[in-house]
Amino acid sequence: MFGRFFTLLVMLLLIAAFMRGDFALTLIYLVVGALAVGLWWGSRALVQVQTKRRFNSHAFLGEKVRIHLTVQNKGWLPLLWLELRETLPVALVGPNSFQTVTNLSPRAEAQFEYFVDARKRGYYPIGPLSLSTGDILGLRDSLQARAGAEALVVYPRIIPFTSMDIPSLSPQGALRHRLPLFEDPTRVFGKRGYVSGDSLRRIDWKSSASAGRLQVKLFEPSIALETFVVLNLNATDYYYRTRIDSTELAIVIAASISNWIVEKKQMVGLLVNGHDPLATDSGLQPLPPRKGQRHLMRLLETLARAETTDNSALVPMLQQQRYRLAWGTTLIVITGEVRDDLLDELYQARRAGQNSVLILAGRGVPDDEVRRRAAFFGIPVVAVATERDLNIWTKRVKHP
Amino acid sequence: MNPRARSNAASNARSFRFISYSLVFLMITCFTLAIGALIQNAMPDWPASIMTGVMLLLVIDRLLTYQRFKSLPVFSPEWFVAVGTQWIVFVIFIRLLLSYAKGLSAFVEDLSLFAHGYLENFFSPEFIVTLWLAGFAWSLPAQFLELLDEIGADQAQALRETPPGVPGNAIPVHQRLVNLVFSMGIVLVILAALALVDLRATLINPAAPTLTPDRFTSVQAGVLLYFILGLALLSQSRLMSLQTRWNIQRIPIASDNLSKKWGSYSLFFLFLIVVIVSLLPTGDSLGLFSLLAALIDLLLGVLFFLWQLIIILAAFLISLPLLLLGLDPPSTMQSPLPPPVLPPASDNPPLFMLDGAIWDFIRSALLWGALILIVGFSVRNFIRQHGDLPAVLRKVPVLNWLILAWEWLRRNVDRTRVGLVRAVADGWQGIVSRLERRGAQPGTGWISLRSLDPRRKIYFFYHAMLRQSARAGLTRKSSQTPSEYAELLEKGLPTAGEDIDAITGAFVEARYSGHEVHSKQANDVKTVWGRIRRALQERSGRARAGKK
Repeated sequence: MFGRFFTLLVMLLLIAAFMRGDFALTLIYLVVGALAVGLWWGSRALVQVQTKRRFNSHAFLGEKVRIHLTVQNKGWLPLLWLELRETLPVALVGPNSFQTVTNLSPRAEAQFEYFVDARKRGYYPIGPLSLSTGDILGLRDSLQARAGAEALVVYPRIIPFTSMDIPSLSPQGALRHRLPLFEDPTRVFGKRGYVSGDSLRRIDWKSSASAGRLQVKLFEPSIALETFVVLNLNATDYYYRTRIDSTELAIVIAASISNWIVEKKQMVGLLVNGHDPLATDSGLQPLPPRKGQRHLMRLLETLARAETTDNSALVPMLQQQRYRLAWGTTLIVITGEVRDDLLDELYQARRAGQNSVLILAGRGVPDDEVRRRAAFFGIPVVAVATERDLNIWTKRVKHP
Repeated sequence: MNPRARSNAASNARSFRFISYSLVFLMITCFTLAIGALIQNAMPDWPASIMTGVMLLLVIDRLLTYQRFKSLPVFSPEWFVAVGTQWIVFVIFIRLLLSYAKGLSAFVEDLSLFAHGYLENFFSPEFIVTLWLAGFAWSLPAQFLELLDEIGADQAQALRETPPGVPGNAIPVHQRLVNLVFSMGIVLVILAALALVDLRATLINPAAPTLTPDRFTSVQAGVLLYFILGLALLSQSRLMSLQTRWNIQRIPIASDNLSKKWGSYSLFFLFLIVVIVSLLPTGDSLGLFSLLAALIDLLLGVLFFLWQLIIILAAFLISLPLLLLGLDPPSTMQSPLPPPVLPPASDNPPLFMLDGAIWDFIRSALLWGALILIVGFSVRNFIRQHGDLPAVLRKVPVLNWLILAWEWLRRNVDRTRVGLVRAVADGWQGIVSRLERRGAQPGTGWISLRSLDPRRKIYFFYHAMLRQSARAGLTRKSSQTPSEYAELLEKGLPTAGEDIDAITGAFVEARYSGHEVHSKQANDVKTVWGRIRRALQERSGRARAGKK
């Protein structure tokens, strides 16, 4: 285009030189003026555009997230057309990404709204938003600008457990227990007549006085359950054909267990050897055992962001973290494959006064062999091939 | 496709077709009027108005029948029949019209001559020229309409996907329309310029072409109108091409009034341009164009001299063998015509500024300024559009040397400037440090860089980077490690990413490893720090400019 424009300009200058008239000069002004104003308008107007995105940055699986997008023209030049293209994760919107065209008068704004489906756990960027506009005459290619991306965290699926048989060595907690070894003197649930051998400390003197014979208190056994969930996301530790499903199942198990423990008002911590998309060089930070909903949200966010990784051995990380845990803590290790070094580490934990439970997530694991080896070290093993297998913890059980 | 977008596009296509066809008709009318003026100027005996009228009729016919002809496969029997019959009618109609233009008696005489088989009278010069112009007028609208249909006037054609394997046109269709409008504009400008010259007088005395200012106004108006209409057409087609693209890509249009707003802004744009053009000065009081004409004259004189030289040498070479054979050399070539003499400058624009003519001076200054701006703008855009131009120019040895010399000069100037700035800064620092030493805190002086070992030099440059970065708003938090801070800094200075990594790496190595640090490493870090400092200064400069 500019080649022809140049030829025209040279022609007009020659004519102006020979004819000495206003005609050629007026034409030069007209053509160059149109070009200059047109190009300047397009480029200047785009600089004045501001965008803002508003949405709930955290969502549970299955939720619909409403995203408000505000595009504002801060300048005095109108935008003839503005093409907006939002880059959205395919996992949430499929092929239907948000894109539209609008025009903006001076100092005007446009509001847009679209939805994304929280179909899959993860940490997703919403954006960047690509803006393009151009000049009124179409003399050059569209001008492009980009607005930054923001993050959306989709929490993993949580299966509401009703009962879990997690061993604990911490007496006098908040959870009822069957073993009289863990009787809690603060939890009196009845009285009976004194029999020889009963401790004098158990005698309820007031009721003995009123009954006229010695009565002893019956205590409900209880435990304190301090748990540390260890999630193995080392890809090579899962059977390669079902690796994606198995690791997702492992994350669901970790999230559900954490939820259950927090519901029981107990402490839970988390160690994941996966990749964190937020951290460029380091992995996911371990979370020490804490109580409360806020802590649960932190756990779930960590699990939402977690991605499988290669060559990130679990055992050294576990070894490092184990020494920071309290005596009696229960380690729940969720993994796809059990190696000897892991069993050895769990055995060491047991010797140090910490309980261990192994949960095998996914298919492709010969669990009989694992059970046999784990039984040798006194470690219980639960095999969960699919989510349906978690029904064992969703059924209501009657406590004695 | 989004059904709403498609319905919008369809309704827009109808109005777009109507408006764009009207604009094309008016533009070609301007063109034909300029041709008519030229014919009247060159051949006053010919019926220029009839010839122009014929062209306009053919343009209208083409605009009306284009869709029908388009549906026929080109060079098919149906097409030949349709075009052939149409043209036979045109030929007869044109010939009869030209005969009738000379008067009723001439018309009757022509008819009798044709009836008696004198067909050579049929093909008179004005008839052949008119026929040629008619062909031109018949084909010209098609070029516009074809492009407009491709842009979106014909939605079915515009939305049709190119089958895989079929090569599409590399130039976008709107760009082709821009090229066509400008190409026709160039031709129109030439025609208008020729229409201004008294061609008869020029043919008698080619050395002194005479201007005919009385025809200037109508032709000028036509050309100006052509360009204004052309801009309107480009604006209109731009909207349609965008809408077509959005339809193809299934992008919904959120705004209901996009087309209306586009129309009103286009009118405003054209109005603004017209106002600007009418306000800008057009006089030549400083003799700018006289100067340009003199330069061209000089150039022509040089070319003419070279031509003479070549002719004389050729004549001499030819005459040598003839002289050897004792024959008379051929008569020396007639002395070539003197170079064309440009018309004397008009009385109004004097070559030099008159004393006291302040207004003339202001006008001329504005004119010069406007022209310099225009040329600068054009050259800049031309170079931008031709990104490979420097590479092409470098292939020419002389230009390559010139470019290399320019780069060398620029490098040296930059280096000298940087050196000067550094020397001044160092000097200032020296003065300040001396004052500090004399001041209340005799113990705290400036660090002498020369006295530091390479490891400490690296510390120094890294801490200098921290200090300068903090001034530029990139403060390091006490909790941040060097790597974390490098990430933050890279976000603030994306152009200096590698340098920041390099200086951070060098600092970490110097600080936390027991490796020996050589002075070369310290010098490298110094160079890297210099680049980072420039980047920080640029960032600060931009920030200040932004605040202003």
